[in-house]
Amino acid sequence: MKSPYNDAEVIALDGVSKRYFLNPQRMGELKTALLHLPTFLKASRARQEFWALRDVSLTIRRGEAVGIVGPNGAGKSTLLRIVSRLAPLTKGKLTVRGRVSPLLELGAGFHPQISGRENAILNAVLLGLSRKEAKEKLGEIAAFSELGDFIDQPMRTYSSGMYVRLGFAVAVHVRPEILLVDEVLAVGDAEFQRKCFDHIEKLRQDKVTIVLVTHDLESVKRFCDRAVLLNHGVVAAEGKPREVVDEYLSRHFEFSASPTSRGDS
Amino acid sequence: MAAAWTASYRQLAERLSLAQLARTWDLLLLMSAREVKLRYQETVLGFLWTMAKPLLLALVFAFALNYVLRIKDPGGAPFVLFLLSALFPWTWFQSSIQFSAASFSNNAPLLKKVYFPRFVLPLSAVTSQLFHFVLSIPILVVLLLAWDYVPGPQWLLGFPLLVAIQFLMLAGLALLVASFNVFLRDLEHLVEVLMMLWLYLTPIIYPLSAVEARLGKVVYLNPMASLIQAWRDLFLYDQLPGLDIWPAVAFAVVALVAGHIVFRTLEGQFEVAL
Repeated sequence: MKSPYNDAEVIALDGVSKRYFLNPQRMGELKTALLHLPTFLKASRARQEFWALRDVSLTIRRGEAVGIVGPNGAGKSTLLRIVSRLAPLTKGKLTVRGRVSPLLELGAGFHPQISGRENAILNAVLLGLSRKEAKEKLGEIAAFSELGDFIDQPMRTYSSGMYVRLGFAVAVHVRPEILLVDEVLAVGDAEFQRKCFDHIEKLRQDKVTIVLVTHDLESVKRFCDRAVLLNHGVVAAEGKPREVVDEYLSRHFEFSASPTSRGDS
Repeated sequence: MAAAWTASYRQLAERLSLAQLARTWDLLLLMSAREVKLRYQETVLGFLWTMAKPLLLALVFAFALNYVLRIKDPGGAPFVLFLLSALFPWTWFQSSIQFSAASFSNNAPLLKKVYFPRFVLPLSAVTSQLFHFVLSIPILVVLLLAWDYVPGPQWLLGFPLLVAIQFLMLAGLALLVASFNVFLRDLEHLVEVLMMLWLYLTPIIYPLSAVEARLGKVVYLNPMASLIQAWRDLFLYDQLPGLDIWPAVAFAVVALVAGHIVFRTLEGQFEVAL
């Protein structure tokens, strides 16, 4: 499907900040709250702020593949959660144009008691297809996931590999315009992993925008057009994947010229 | 430039809203169908439970109330008809609220991973229970016919009208309860008890006139009283709901507005609370 936003900015973050509270004020159990009312009120006033993202501005154009790198807790996953609208922002402005398919956790929302087929349809609709489109795509999804006759079995009979395969198959077959990938490709056997990467490569040729969060720096260098280094919720570097990765390595591992990074093709 | 941007924005808004509406509808259908399917899955009777359960419940009540306590319909209708004409709509009401209460908290993994119109979750509890309610109507009709109560053409207007009022009321209450329950899980247990209380406060197992004589117009403060009475008048006496149904309509509007506001306000906090 042709998107009307050729080469347009499909994701734009403008001064986006995200605050969490370290001990979020939860009513939790009513009993605890009532029995310890004074401490409860004091605790809720003294809650500690944590800024997962601070004033992040970033634009991503249609068809770009952008890698997000950074140490644990840098805000990478928060960024993806914000773009997929799972986390509301505290400050700033976010514009997203096009259907977002989050590969955050595969098969979220699959129900063990109903069949793979029904789960796949419901999941595809959750990700943005209409029921009719989902039914049309089912053949491709079933073929890609290599489930065979298992597609009509309740999902409690599935192995974890089958579960993930179906999840991935649905996520990439909903004709996403923006694909958010968060470390999920480290699942399944080697052959299926390659198949997933091949498919993502194909989507990329179809001008699907891809945002990749990973600790696998080699794949960022090999696969992405651009990379962003996050550190403590701030954009610390942005640019060519190779340079950003080198910057990351030199900052965090005190390697001056990244001797560990092998020559890439 | 600015004009072009505005135009494309408008185009986008149109595409989104229409497609979005259709998709939300599809989602609601699929979610409700899943809930209907899961309810009695892996039971021997399976789908028959949809009809068997209200019928068995009616038998229990009929035994306790009619045989033991000797409660009678002042209108002279057979007790089973008197009871079921109110109990079936009430069951839709009660089970919708009970199942919707945990609909956000039970679907935490889904809510944390995918963004979709979330109000679909509590709403699908209401629609799947509506489905069960509609399926219980043939039982009622068969029993009515057995006692020579022939449903009149008023049903064609009255039934959808009452369904609409009760649906809007339930949609609001379901959103309200489900949203609060994310932060206060005690609510889903509290609701169970409160619904039992509400059942006894509502003229379902006893006639409205029995309490109206003693309490006067106060009984109408319970919006379900007028709604249940309207169901009973329609099913038993083919009477269309009159103006005295206003407490139910007013409550439906209030519940809907309150549910909407509470859901919109709390939705942003779901990600940290779930």
